[in-house]
Amino acid sequence: MTLPVRRLRLGVLFTALLGGAALAADHPEAVAGRSADALAHDIFKQLIEINTTDSVGNITTAAQALAQRFLAAGFPAADVLVAGPEERKKNLVVRLHGSGGQRPVLLIGHLDVVEARSEDWSTDPFKLIEKDGYFYGRGTLDMKSGDAIMAAALLRLKQEGYRGTRDLILALTADEENGCCNGVEWLTRNHRDLIDAEFVLNHDGLVGYSITSEHGVPEEFALSATEKMYADYQLAVTNRGGHSSLPRPDNAIYQLAQGLLRISQYSFPFELNEITRAYFERMAGARSGQVAADMRAITRSPADAQAIARLALEPELNSLMRTTCVATRLDGGHANNALPQRAQAVVNCRILPGHSKEEVRKELMQVVNDPQIAVRYLTEDGALADTAPEQRSLPPSPLLPQVLGPLQNTVAALWPGLPVVPFMNAGATDGIFTRAAGLPTYGVAGIAVDRGDVRAHGRDERVRVSSFYRGNEFFYRYLKAITAP
Amino acid sequence: MRTSTRAGAAARLLMAACCLACAACAAAADATSTSNALARELLAQLTAINTTDSERGNVTTAAEAMAQRLRTAGFPAEDVRVLGPSERKKNLIVRLRGTGAHKPVLLIGHLDVVEARREDWSTDPFQLVEKDGELYGRGTLDMKGPDAIMLASLIRLRQEGFRPTRDIILALTADEEGGSANGVQWLVQHHRELVDAQFVLSGDDYSVLLVKGKPLYFKLVASEKVYADFQLQVTNKGGHSSVPVADNAIYTLTRGLDRLAAYQFPFELNAVTREYYRRLAQIESGQRAADMRAILSNPPDRQALERLSADPVERSITHTTCVATRLDAGHANNALPQRARAVVNCRILPGHSPEEVRQQLVQVLADPAIAVNYQASDGTLTDHAPAVRGFAPPPLLPEMLDPLDQLVAATWPGLKVIPNMSAGASDATHTSAAGLSTYTFSPLSVDPSDDREHGRDERISVASFYQANEFFYRYLRTLTAR
Repeated sequence: MTLPVRRLRLGVLFTALLGGAALAADHPEAVAGRSADALAHDIFKQLIEINTTDSVGNITTAAQALAQRFLAAGFPAADVLVAGPEERKKNLVVRLHGSGGQRPVLLIGHLDVVEARSEDWSTDPFKLIEKDGYFYGRGTLDMKSGDAIMAAALLRLKQEGYRGTRDLILALTADEENGCCNGVEWLTRNHRDLIDAEFVLNHDGLVGYSITSEHGVPEEFALSATEKMYADYQLAVTNRGGHSSLPRPDNAIYQLAQGLLRISQYSFPFELNEITRAYFERMAGARSGQVAADMRAITRSPADAQAIARLALEPELNSLMRTTCVATRLDGGHANNALPQRAQAVVNCRILPGHSKEEVRKELMQVVNDPQIAVRYLTEDGALADTAPEQRSLPPSPLLPQVLGPLQNTVAALWPGLPVVPFMNAGATDGIFTRAAGLPTYGVAGIAVDRGDVRAHGRDERVRVSSFYRGNEFFYRYLKAITAP
Repeated sequence: MRTSTRAGAAARLLMAACCLACAACAAAADATSTSNALARELLAQLTAINTTDSERGNVTTAAEAMAQRLRTAGFPAEDVRVLGPSERKKNLIVRLRGTGAHKPVLLIGHLDVVEARREDWSTDPFQLVEKDGELYGRGTLDMKGPDAIMLASLIRLRQEGFRPTRDIILALTADEEGGSANGVQWLVQHHRELVDAQFVLSGDDYSVLLVKGKPLYFKLVASEKVYADFQLQVTNKGGHSSVPVADNAIYTLTRGLDRLAAYQFPFELNAVTREYYRRLAQIESGQRAADMRAILSNPPDRQALERLSADPVERSITHTTCVATRLDAGHANNALPQRARAVVNCRILPGHSPEEVRQQLVQVLADPAIAVNYQASDGTLTDHAPAVRGFAPPPLLPEMLDPLDQLVAATWPGLKVIPNMSAGASDATHTSAAGLSTYTFSPLSVDPSDDREHGRDERISVASFYQANEFFYRYLRTLTAR
C-alpha cells in the first residue's frame, strides 16, 4: 500500500494556515464544541484527581466514576461494564452501538499513571492545575487527557443520537505502566467477545500524543502502526580478583569495556518494514536537500549504503531503520584497592518487528566476541535467564485505508498541510497485546507536544490547554469519520 | 585442653634445633620457652581486645593492658606512656634504656585491626584459637602477632638486665588500617622527642616467603609505593534509551579505560629495587636470573624487561601501576546514562607525586570529556592531587642490615635477605615523612598464596610464631650489642 505523498513545507507558512482552520465562533458546531470541551475538561479533572498509581492508587474508582457518567448519559447498563480480576484494578468497557454495517472499532486507553511524588513537583500532581496555558498533573499527557477525550467523544456522540456504521467500544484499563496482567492483556484473554473489533485505536500513540510540534507549531502527525520490542540484557565478566597493588592483564573491568566498545561500534542490519518505508517516503516530502534525497535513496532497492550511513547520524532516524542496543548501566568491583571480581553492564535493546529477543542475544554474543563475557537475558522483574524468549515480535499492522483515509481527511481539516506519517514506536504500549490478539492497532491522538517537552513519567507533566481542546475536537471528528456511512 | 602441650612440644623442638651444640642449652631453652609462652599470652590477650575502628573497638584498652604488662615486667612507670588524641585511640610507648652510645632505634607496630564478622569466620575472630598447628584470630598476622613478639622481646631483654648500646623504643599505635587518629603520624608530629631515633623498624609485613612450604627469601621492605585513588567521570545529558545517540557516557568512559589498560608507566629502578634484583638474581636461575641482571645494565635490556614485566609482581616493582577497580554508571535500564564513573587505583613509585600521575592519566585517557579527580581516603574528590613526592628509599644501613643477614643465614641456612619495595602503604609513610629511615620486616613465614591479612580466618603457624619470636629477640640483642 502506498500513501499519497504530501509535499507541504512546514514552519512559518504553516502557522498562517492554522488560523484558517478555526471554526467561526457562532457556528452551531462551535457551540457544541465548547460544551464538549467543558465536558472533556470535567472528566479530565475528575480522572487526574483520582490517584491511579500502582502503589496506593485505585483504578476501579476511576473506572466506576466514568461508568457513572455513561449510565447517566443514557448508556444501557448492559453496555457499561466494570470488570477485572483484582478489586483495585478493574477496567471499564463501554459500547456505543452502531448500525452494524461494519465491524466494531476498539478504542483503548490506560487509566493508570506512573508514580509522582509531590515534593518533586511544582504543583500537586494529583490536582489538575491550569497555569500559563498548560494543564499540569500526573497523567495530563500519559494519558488521562486521552481517556477524557475518548470518553467525552462517546458521550457527545450519544447525546447527539449519532448512529455510525460500527459499534464503538471504549476500554479504559489498568496496569499499562506497572503491575501486570489486569488490563488489556486480561481483556483479550478473558473477554475477547467484549472487545472484538476490526481494528484498534490506541490513544497512547507515542506517549499520549501523535503530533510533534516546535513552539506549538505542529510538524508531523505520527500514525503509530508498529512497535519495537523492549529487551534488557546483562553482560557480566567474573575474575578471581586480587590485590590492586599487583594488576594483572586479565581484568574484569577492562574485559567488559572491550566488549562494550565492540557493541558501541556495531550497527544492527538496516531493515525497513511497511511502516518505516512509508515513513521515509513521506518524510522525504517534508524534508529537503541531502536528507530528502537520502530518505528516497534508502527506500529504493537496494538501499543506498551511504545514504543509510548519513541518515543514521540522526538518532531518531537511526532508531527507525534498525534494532538498537545501548549500554545503560555499569557496575563493577567491590573495593578501591582490590582487583574487580566482577564487572557487569546492562544493555538495553529495542528490537525491530519480526525478530526475537533470543536472536538479539545471540547477535550480541557474536558482537562481543568473548566467551568470558556472559550475555544473559534480564527479565522485567530483574531475574536473569541464560536464554531469552524465542518468540518473534509482531509484524506491523497493515495501513488499512479505512483507518488512514479518514485520518488524513480529519487531520487536513484541523491542521491543513500537516503530514500524516506512518510511524514505528520505539517504546512499548498496550498495543502489543491487541496486536498479539490479531487486532490491527494504531496509535492515534490529536494532542501536540513540543519536541523536547515530553514530560510523561517525569516531573511537572503537562499538556497545552489549546492542544487538549483541539485533540478533543479531533478525536470526536475522527470517530465520526471512521464510522460514517 | 591439648593446646598447651602441643605448643610446648613445638617450642621444645625448635629450641632443640637451635641450641644443640650450646653449653648453656638448658638455660637458654628455658628462657626461650618462657618468652614464647609470654608472647603467646600477649597475643591471646591482644586478640581478645577488639581494636577495630568500629564502635565496638577500643585501641586504648589494648594499649593500657600492654602498659600494665610492661610495668609488671619491671619497666619504670615513666618509660611506659599511653597517650593519644582520641579517648578510644591511644598509643603505647615504652623505652628500654641503653648506654646511649648510639641514637635510639624505634620499633613500630599498630594495635588496630580491620573489621571481622563472626559469621564470615570459622572461629571467633576475637579469640586466639589454635587448630592444626595454626593460630587463628583477627590480627594474628596483621599485626598483633608481630606486636606480641616485639613486646615479648623487650620484656625478655629487660628481665635479663640487658643494657643495649642504644635505647629501644617501641610504639604500638592506632588507626593504621583506617580511622582519623593515626598514632604514628600523631606521635611524630606532637611527641617527636618520645619517638626520635636513628632509624625505625616496622613489624608490619611478614618476611619469610614460603613457596610450597619452603622459604624462598627473607623480605626486607625498605621502600614503599604511594597509594592513590583517582575517579574518572563522564557526564552526559542522557535521554531515552529507545533512541541511542553517539555521545554516550559509558562508551566514552570505556574507550578511556581501554587506553588505560594498554598503557604502561615508565620503567624505573631505585636503590632498593636495584638491590632487590641484584640479590634475587643470585637466587633465581635460568632466563629469569639473566633477565634480572639484564635490566640492571645500562641501558636496561628492553626484552628482558618485557619478559619480567609479564609477572605482575616484577611489573609492580619496576613501574608505577594504575588499574581500574570499580565501575558505576547509569540510573535506569531504559535511560541513557547521565553519568559513568570508574575508580582507578594507582601505586606510585617513590620520587613521584599523585598529581604527576593524575596528569599522566589525563594524557593517557586523552579525552577532555573524562574528568580525572583525586579521591582522598575519606572519599572527597579534588581536581588536583597532592604534589608531594613519595619518599626516596633510605640507605640500607650496615648496622641494621649486617646483623639481619647473619641471623637469617643462621636461622635458615642459605636463605638471603632481599631488600624490597612494598606496593602497599603502611605507617612507614609517616616515619619516612618525619625523616626517619624506616625498614619493615617481621620474621614470620607465610605462603603469599595463602596470605589472609584483612581476610577471613586470618592465621599464622604456631611454629613460625615461636621461631619469629626467638629470631626477633636475637636480632634486637645483636643490633644493640655493638
